[in-house]
Amino acid sequence: MDQSVAIQETLAEGEYCIIAVQGVLCEGDSRQSRLLGLVRYRLEHGGQEYALFLYMHRRMAITGDDVSLDQIVPVSRDFTLEEVSPDGEVYILGLISGFLCAGSDVTVQLNTAELNLVFQLPFGSHTRMFLQEVARACPGLDPETPNPEFLWLSRYRCTEPEPPPPGWNSALGTWTGCARIGGGGSYLDDLRPNGKGLLVDQNSRGHDKPDNLLTRQTKSRSEMNDMIRCSTITVSDKAHILSMQKFGLRDTIVKSHLMQKEEDYTNIQNFRFFVGTYNVNGQSPKECLRPWLSHSTQAPDVYCVGFQELDLSKEAFFFHDTPKEEEWFKVVSESLHPDAKYAKVKLIRLVGIMLLLYVKQEHAAHVSEVEAETVGTGIMGRMGNKGGVAIRFQFHNTSICVVNSHLAAHTEEYERRNQDYKDICSRMQFCQVDPSLPPLTISKHDVILWLGDLNYRIEELDVEKVKKLIEEKAFQTLHAYDQLKIQVAAKAVFEGFTEGELTFQPTYKYDTGSDEWDTSEKCRAPAWCDRILWKGKNITQLSYQSHMALKTSDHKPVSSEFDIGVRVKDEDLYRKTLEEIVRSLDKMENANIPSVSLSKREFCFQDVKYMQLQVESFTILNGQVPCQFEFINKPDEESYCKPWLNVNPSRGFLLPESSIEIELEVFVNKTMATKLNSGEDKIEDILVLHLDRGKDYFLSVSGNYLPGCFGTPIHTLCYMREPILDLPLETVRELTLMPLCTEDGGSQLEKPMEIPKELWMMVDYLYRNAVQQEDLFQQPGLRLEFEKIRDSLDTGMIDTLDILSINNHSVAEALLLFLESLPEPVICYSAYHNCLECSGNYTASKQVISTLPTFHRNVFYYLMAFLQELLKNSEKNHLDQNILASIFGSLLLRNPAGHQKLEMAEKKKAQEFIHQFLCNSL
Amino acid sequence: MAKQYDVLFRLLLIGDSGVGKTCLLCRFTDNEFHSSHISTIGVDFKMKTIEVDGIKVRIQIWDWLSTAGTQRGQERYQTITKQYYRRAQGIFLVYDISSERSYQHIMKWVSDVDEYAPEGVQKILIGNKADEEQKRQVGREQGQQLAKEYGMDFYETSACTNLNIKESFTRLTELVLQAHRKELDGLRTRASNELVLAELEEDESKPEGPVNSSKSCWC
Repeated sequence: MDQSVAIQETLAEGEYCIIAVQGVLCEGDSRQSRLLGLVRYRLEHGGQEYALFLYMHRRMAITGDDVSLDQIVPVSRDFTLEEVSPDGEVYILGLISGFLCAGSDVTVQLNTAELNLVFQLPFGSHTRMFLQEVARACPGLDPETPNPEFLWLSRYRCTEPEPPPPGWNSALGTWTGCARIGGGGSYLDDLRPNGKGLLVDQNSRGHDKPDNLLTRQTKSRSEMNDMIRCSTITVSDKAHILSMQKFGLRDTIVKSHLMQKEEDYTNIQNFRFFVGTYNVNGQSPKECLRPWLSHSTQAPDVYCVGFQELDLSKEAFFFHDTPKEEEWFKVVSESLHPDAKYAKVKLIRLVGIMLLLYVKQEHAAHVSEVEAETVGTGIMGRMGNKGGVAIRFQFHNTSICVVNSHLAAHTEEYERRNQDYKDICSRMQFCQVDPSLPPLTISKHDVILWLGDLNYRIEELDVEKVKKLIEEKAFQTLHAYDQLKIQVAAKAVFEGFTEGELTFQPTYKYDTGSDEWDTSEKCRAPAWCDRILWKGKNITQLSYQSHMALKTSDHKPVSSEFDIGVRVKDEDLYRKTLEEIVRSLDKMENANIPSVSLSKREFCFQDVKYMQLQVESFTILNGQVPCQFEFINKPDEESYCKPWLNVNPSRGFLLPESSIEIELEVFVNKTMATKLNSGEDKIEDILVLHLDRGKDYFLSVSGNYLPGCFGTPIHTLCYMREPILDLPLETVRELTLMPLCTEDGGSQLEKPMEIPKELWMMVDYLYRNAVQQEDLFQQPGLRLEFEKIRDSLDTGMIDTLDILSINNHSVAEALLLFLESLPEPVICYSAYHNCLECSGNYTASKQVISTLPTFHRNVFYYLMAFLQELLKNSEKNHLDQNILASIFGSLLLRNPAGHQKLEMAEKKKAQEFIHQFLCNSL
Repeated sequence: MAKQYDVLFRLLLIGDSGVGKTCLLCRFTDNEFHSSHISTIGVDFKMKTIEVDGIKVRIQIWDWLSTAGTQRGQERYQTITKQYYRRAQGIFLVYDISSERSYQHIMKWVSDVDEYAPEGVQKILIGNKADEEQKRQVGREQGQQLAKEYGMDFYETSACTNLNIKESFTRLTELVLQAHRKELDGLRTRASNELVLAELEEDESKPEGPVNSSKSCWC
């Protein structure tokens, strides 16, 4: 029953009750029923605000007269309504001895800044829908959205002049304290059942206009459905998220695979089901039900017991509870088979239609995902005087749905009954454990057991004829006139269902307390009103009978026992299947680890020379998985490779089966040459090619470096009387590592030369060929020629330069490169600062130079002499002192701190220092 | 429903080249065996999910080879490969029962483990190629003796005949689980470096090494 209709009648224009639910307000030990209505108000300027209206109410609220406002809780920013004990374990079973309170399954907590209320809401989809709607109504946390002001609620303030409750301004409609109110003020007006003065707009009530009511209701339904349909899970959807169980993606995949392979690890095992239906005509239990419930020798595994017309009183119709529920529940529990202990799984009731589900205690652990729902098809197509209730559950691995229905009465109304059946089928929807899945319907179950007072009659025959045929036990003949048989045959109802042979006499209508046919005025014709049907595989009906011994009602109870084949998990097989699935997932995962193949993994660079680029390339061919690759640093190293190596590109992305060419470039410059000459460093490296989320590949780089004069210290070169390449590597190493200060340490060595022969070769060449060369030292040389110069210096082939008539600029550049590559500059680092200090003082400057080691001093004066020689030809070569001082200043004088950018002042002083030696006699 | 969690462990296969580490791995993870020997130059891993004591354990098994043979080659790669020790919670020390030499080298491998692997790392000794009885150079009791010396469990396995593969991998996983019992119990509250919640696992499964990071960041 949708009680939002009753609430709607009390609301003003612009206010709309979206959904209402009846719950129990728990305050300490007190339990009071409340009707909770979610009310929306559309603001004039657009947008909407919500509030939760709490009503006291007559037991079943139908019109506005039945409810009275208790309090209003605005749905403000700090409003939360949350389920406090998720209803996950529905099958917490009450043993027969302990009665569990049916209903009130969901406990929710309503919190605002100032308020904390606990409600128990009835279990089921309606409550869930309610919670979802409320969650949707909660204002988002978007700061752009203005705080709700709830001005519209002002009219619910007590109109009588009373001291305003805290948190709201006395001026009507101007809630300056709206932030506070939005912060959860609850309008605890002194509204009590008689406080109707607050319920304005009484004219809008339509309790005398059922048509009006109906249309309004239909409209609200469809509107609601639309909302549900377009709903998406948002962050603010707290109620929704709360009930959601989060599984890892992997678990979800495993589950779906398990479901697909169910047959591999389950066996069909029979369980005895007792299904009973009894229309008790509003009576209280007066006799033991054992003749009905425990008539067979074997104790059933499962009991599905349904009642109709449990309570025919107006109260039961209008109000939710009835004492009869407890009475019948108790007597059923006591009449179950004495050979077994049973646990109640669920009790569900809609007015007089009640369904009870019990299982043997030992099966309780195998019952899960229990859900129960009701559908009313009575007055206005909604009310609970007719309709159905259902319990669905998972028993081992089989899903079962039990439906108890009481369909429309009267012989001629069989089409109405067909329609009721269809309504129940379409409207009965069970929530799934995973709320992202659509709700389950009755037909989505492996086994469906349908019982109830279906109310189909025997037609066309007159009463006496029927009674006569019954007396003759000519049931076969009567079947032809049974409306249910006829309608099923016409596929108008219960399609796909099976019913057993009717071998018992009709169960309706008797004089209460007897086995006599109805003797009342109406003198109803006997009929098989009470029926049991089933749908599904592996179901064997063992019995289908009525129980004449019970005389409480004008109906006789009917029972049927079934052996139902249920899928039971074989633990061993299950484990095996699970393992297989896990293994295949692992395999898939492993196949998805990126993998590439490399065309080459070892690289050898032969005879690497100073400033001579060598390149090797290889191809990365990707496998089936897109991958990102990158050359990564080795431990404790700051780069992925040695400084003389470069990888291009060093990172990238590869599509499946695509490839990329990678170039390894080896290039030795002045910073590395000395260490390679000395053997402290080698052309040797390992590259780690890392695939994101995948493996690492190791690439080996090796090679040899040919020592050369570039990068070799001045004094070392002076001791090398032979070309560097003619010397054994060992000698080169030793000489390179020889400390600078060995002025005469080379006693065992050959007498050193005064200056490096390589320097002499270059200067001599320039002296002979280039003193008049225009723009000397200011034009770049040719790279190819540099290599020739380098080779002739290292091999001592002095003539080569002349033979090849090397370009003057190339030689000049080589000279500069030579000076630049010296590990210790011509003016030693130690003398650097002294030189700067005494620049401008020629005598002091000369003094500093005199402190240099012999070879360095020699080189310095040799160069200065050469430069002075060049200046003599300045008319031709356009060189002047400044140009040369600037070029050589930065080469001969180098800051020991390294490559930091020199300050202008420092540069200038270095220039000045050299300048003195260019313009003064040496 | 109790919160489900996975535990991720890293296990490492070490031993001389050619003892069949990659074969052991393939047999265990994919139940496949390829007799042809392809040298792994680099580091490879595979994932496997097993259940131990009702706990779903995802193990990432790392396999590497330090070049085909030469001592010099081994040394060159050592500086790199030692980094992989740091991430391991369990180590398989593998020799080949038909190679006395690979058995002798276990000592060297153990000393590497002692030097580079984290404290409390679990070890297990594997004598692989148990199917090649006619070529046997290392007796079963020799293996047991060595394992006893180092306080390790010992298995003779065959990737070829699938002997003791699952057993040895499961055993090492159990040992690691036991060693990390405490952290495991505290798993609900926090995830330590060794024990990784399933949700975080994706980010953790790579040996991260951003090029620009100045620290050594392989672990």
